[in-house]
Amino acid sequence: MKPKPLFESNAHSGDAAQGRRDLLRMLRLFAPYWQWMAAGALLSLLTVLANVALMAVSGWFIASMALAGLTGAAINYFTPAALIRGLAITRTIGRYLERIVTHDATLRLLARLRVWFYMRIEPLAPACLQGLHSADMLSRIQADIDTLNHVYLRVFAPIAVAVLACGSIVAVMAAYSTQVALLALTGLLLAGAVLPWWLYRQGREPGRQIVALRAALRETVIDGMEGLGELRVYGALEAHQCRADALRSQLCAAQRSMSRLHGLSQGALLLCATLALWGTLCISIALLRAGTLATADLAMLALFVLASFEAVWPLPTAMQMLGESLAAARRIFSLADASPAVSEPLQAVSLPARPSLSMRDVTLRYRDDAPAALDRVSLDLSAGQCLAVVGASGAGKSSLANVLLRFWEYEQGCIELGGVDLRNCAAEDIRRHIAVVSQDAYLFNATIRQNLQIARPDATDAQMEAACREAQLHDFIAALPAGYDTELGEAGARLSGGQARRLAIARALLLDAPILILDEPTEGLDTLTERSLLQAIVRLMRGRSVLLITHRLAVLADLADRIVVLEHGRVVQHGAAHTVRGAACGPYYELEHTF
Amino acid sequence: MKPTRLNAAPAPRSAHDTPAPRPAAKKATESWLQGLRASVRPTLALAVGYGLVGGVLVIVQAALLAWVVNAAMLNHAGLGQVWPALAWLLVVFALRFGAVRATENAAFAAGASVRGELHARLLRHIYALGPSWVQWQPRGALANDLVTGIDALEGYYTRWLPNRALTTLLPIAILAVVLPSDWLSGLILLVTAPLIPLFMILLGKGAEDLSQQQWWQLTRLSARFLDTLQGLTTLKLFNASRREAQVVASISEAYRESTMKVLRVAFLSAVVLEFLATVSIAMVAVLVGFHLLYGKISFQHGFFVLLIVPEFYLPLRTLGAHYHARMEAIGAAERIMSVLALPLTSTIAMTASAPLPLRTGEPPALSFESVCSAYTPGYPILHDISFTAQRGGITAIVGPSGAGKSTVLRLLLGFGTLDTGAIRVDGRSLATYASHDWLTQVAWVPQRGYVFAGTVLENLRMAKPDATHAQMRRAAEQAGAHEFISALPHGYDTPLGEHGAGLSGGEIQRLTLARAFLKNAPVLLLDEPTANLDAHSRTIVHHTLRHLAQRHTVLLVAHRLETAQLAQHIVVLEAGRVVQSGTHHQLLAAPGLYARMAAGADIERTDETEAIV
Repeated sequence: MKPKPLFESNAHSGDAAQGRRDLLRMLRLFAPYWQWMAAGALLSLLTVLANVALMAVSGWFIASMALAGLTGAAINYFTPAALIRGLAITRTIGRYLERIVTHDATLRLLARLRVWFYMRIEPLAPACLQGLHSADMLSRIQADIDTLNHVYLRVFAPIAVAVLACGSIVAVMAAYSTQVALLALTGLLLAGAVLPWWLYRQGREPGRQIVALRAALRETVIDGMEGLGELRVYGALEAHQCRADALRSQLCAAQRSMSRLHGLSQGALLLCATLALWGTLCISIALLRAGTLATADLAMLALFVLASFEAVWPLPTAMQMLGESLAAARRIFSLADASPAVSEPLQAVSLPARPSLSMRDVTLRYRDDAPAALDRVSLDLSAGQCLAVVGASGAGKSSLANVLLRFWEYEQGCIELGGVDLRNCAAEDIRRHIAVVSQDAYLFNATIRQNLQIARPDATDAQMEAACREAQLHDFIAALPAGYDTELGEAGARLSGGQARRLAIARALLLDAPILILDEPTEGLDTLTERSLLQAIVRLMRGRSVLLITHRLAVLADLADRIVVLEHGRVVQHGAAHTVRGAACGPYYELEHTF
Repeated sequence: MKPTRLNAAPAPRSAHDTPAPRPAAKKATESWLQGLRASVRPTLALAVGYGLVGGVLVIVQAALLAWVVNAAMLNHAGLGQVWPALAWLLVVFALRFGAVRATENAAFAAGASVRGELHARLLRHIYALGPSWVQWQPRGALANDLVTGIDALEGYYTRWLPNRALTTLLPIAILAVVLPSDWLSGLILLVTAPLIPLFMILLGKGAEDLSQQQWWQLTRLSARFLDTLQGLTTLKLFNASRREAQVVASISEAYRESTMKVLRVAFLSAVVLEFLATVSIAMVAVLVGFHLLYGKISFQHGFFVLLIVPEFYLPLRTLGAHYHARMEAIGAAERIMSVLALPLTSTIAMTASAPLPLRTGEPPALSFESVCSAYTPGYPILHDISFTAQRGGITAIVGPSGAGKSTVLRLLLGFGTLDTGAIRVDGRSLATYASHDWLTQVAWVPQRGYVFAGTVLENLRMAKPDATHAQMRRAAEQAGAHEFISALPHGYDTPLGEHGAGLSGGEIQRLTLARAFLKNAPVLLLDEPTANLDAHSRTIVHHTLRHLAQRHTVLLVAHRLETAQLAQHIVVLEAGRVVQSGTHHQLLAAPGLYARMAAGADIERTDETEAIV
């Protein structure tokens, strides 16, 4: 089963149905926190209603007081005064609690989502992630997940609150005047439903662009930093900078569209509110003259209608930004839903302690349209043996490691470890039995100790020291001011090629696996270093089955018991080492003596 | 072999390890931020201006409303009497609509302009600091600064600055109209107004440190996650990738906690603000009510005051809402400032003030004279290096790993500093050349060549933008790369993944060699050109080098003595010093490091290793 070709980073999230599905999925993800959200929504509702009531009651209060003052009538002012003060306090405390509750729940969810996302992409490495830049994945796990907070904080709860609040407000208004209530309802629907919907449609494209451009900018910038030297030397730095600048200005343009929309939405909201107020005035004055409305109620209704728009105030902006959040969500889900290239068995069989390896007619293709990287390859590795796999660059040697480690799935043939079919073993179990030392082992921007602990997290200092001594690295580490706690710098920048290789050997020693794959272990090293490294390699090889992959025949082939020659993915020669090396003609001879 | 001390140099100080900033530093950051707005002062003023207009319109609206309501309620006016005011209200509404949009547009324009400029500046500065600095930096963190960090500044220019100006202007205007209407309400406003910023400042003090912490956590998150994602395959090899999930969890949790701390303080300050404001409004409402009851003021004035008092506190509350934006901007700006403050150093003059051209037509001679160089003082990489690379010919630098060979090349490229001594090109010090000019004469192949995200063609074309297909093909053939490129699914148009995913090590090597050959520069600097290559490709490359040596100065670093033997002159480096130099045969004959290295290498085949006479 081939990994599907990867995400076009400018894929259209324009599919509305997909957006709805993603939205529902996000809602479901929030299920464990629904009580928090409900509490938050309730508090928000309380706050909104308190605020609206505050203005309405204040209006009514002073109008009544004015009338009472003019007419000399008695008025119970304690209750409204107290009510006003009470509403003021309710409103502030309510808002504080609501924010704390909703933000806390949302941030917890986002932290969990990050781990969830990581666990989903971890099985995809390396096969399915090949077309994807690590910077893009960083964008997804960091920025895109952050963008999701918007959906929880500003969309789900506020919509629920708006609906409930508007319902209660209009119901109360209707008690005073149905016309005003209808007018308010129309205004609220315009501002709270029509306007947001229109903004959502308008904001989708800029939102999608913002998300994609941010990721592209991050990728370009990281790319430039990693290849900075060559960009400079080849005079391509200016062009690269211009590309980054262009991305930034495109991002700015998309943000400007959003800003314009935002300005428009704020203006339109204001217009809806003030026009509703205006209409209320007209109606109320007419009703007042007709005698069907109490005098003080005029002031009250005016302020009531104006204040009621607070219930829908957050909605237009929320819907405008929804497009951006949905684009981010699509990026997250599309990667998280990818299926890994290699599937785990339902019932894993455990491997024996010192397994032998046998491959029969194994064929591997990286892409359906690509030539076979391994073409009916058969080989055997018995316990304790060393098998050298030699061949020209690109002959398929590294593909062997890919297939054995279950990074890529082979399409034909059979691989057995200790008599157990590889497909019946758990990938983790396989990797515990196989250690790899390759020429480009990745070193993390951490201390030497932490880099070693990757192989064995519970390694004691003594064990680490022993491994480093075997790898002939301990003296060097001991001479460093911080010793094992020395930071390695980005991608192990502090170590020379030979030292990095030794660290990789020390790691493999710590893992202590029965099978060892050495992939060009001394490539790129000078002869003196190579010779001394060989001692470390020989020690590493003791008692293990070794698959030695190399095209440097002279020095390393000495170590092998058997030799297999690969050419274009096919085995073209194999046999005992001395036989193969001694042959006066044939593929091995040609490799060694090629012009 | 004695382990070298040279790589024990502590890493150069990075902007990454900033300690908790002191108050003085924060002031400095804010004044730096203020300084950036110089170019957008007019636009910001425009935004403030529109905001003021909006504020004045609110006052007018309130006055009209108060008049209408008063007329209807107490003067028994009907629609027929109040319609002029109602008409004016519509005009005011339309103007407010325009003012809101204009404010938003102007504020955004100001913020966008600052961000665009700063982005260009920061990017160029980071690139100018060179690979010698960048290689030590967590790239995820720098990318975060350039993308998220710069965007974080938006809130400062778009929201904070305009609102701060409005907060001082608008309340004064409102106070000016309230005082005549009801002096007691005006008094309340006058008294409460200063309290609010006071409380905000008090609460804000604690919030600033927390905001710094939060930004630091975000930086750490970016750096760590990128490292993890780039090394995911390695983690899988050791079954450490699932364990890493715990680290992902703990870092995410730390970020969440620091964010929540910041938010709590932000919300608390907001609630204090709102409390004061709302209580003041409530007090005013009650007071006005009583004044009305006792006939102290007219209803129109009272209603007007009630309408306008919330607007008095609105700018302050808006400011409070944007306080968090200000803190975030300061947090991002700290890092950006510290990166911009790092000085640029290089062997080559960075300005184009001395653009003297090289003698074209002939490849130059390069010489090092007593060069000492160190990453950090006290930990030198090169001691007193002197040698000459003749014009037209191959010079090889050999030596054990860690001896400083790559540093020699990097100094020639300007990727490091010279402490003492001089590097000369055709007798003239390299430092007198303009960097840009010098590099047009140089092609470089590093040990691990970088393949950019793009097609094979794009990766080649960067060496020579106007290259024809024929030229590119020729360069690829010279590097032994044409065959495998043609075999790719889309040939030269095949897109390559990150770090050249899809190509083997040897193929990447040949691609970067082809790039160098395409540039056809007089000086060729090659760091292990035949690493990762099998014998067949090696032969092709050796052949090409021999051919190029006639009209180019080639300086190559070699681990493999077969490659070194191509050279007429070999320099042997050990622990940063020149220990031997001469031709291959001279060095073989002399007892020393070279002879020892040769003894371990397979150099029986001398037919392909004839140096050019």
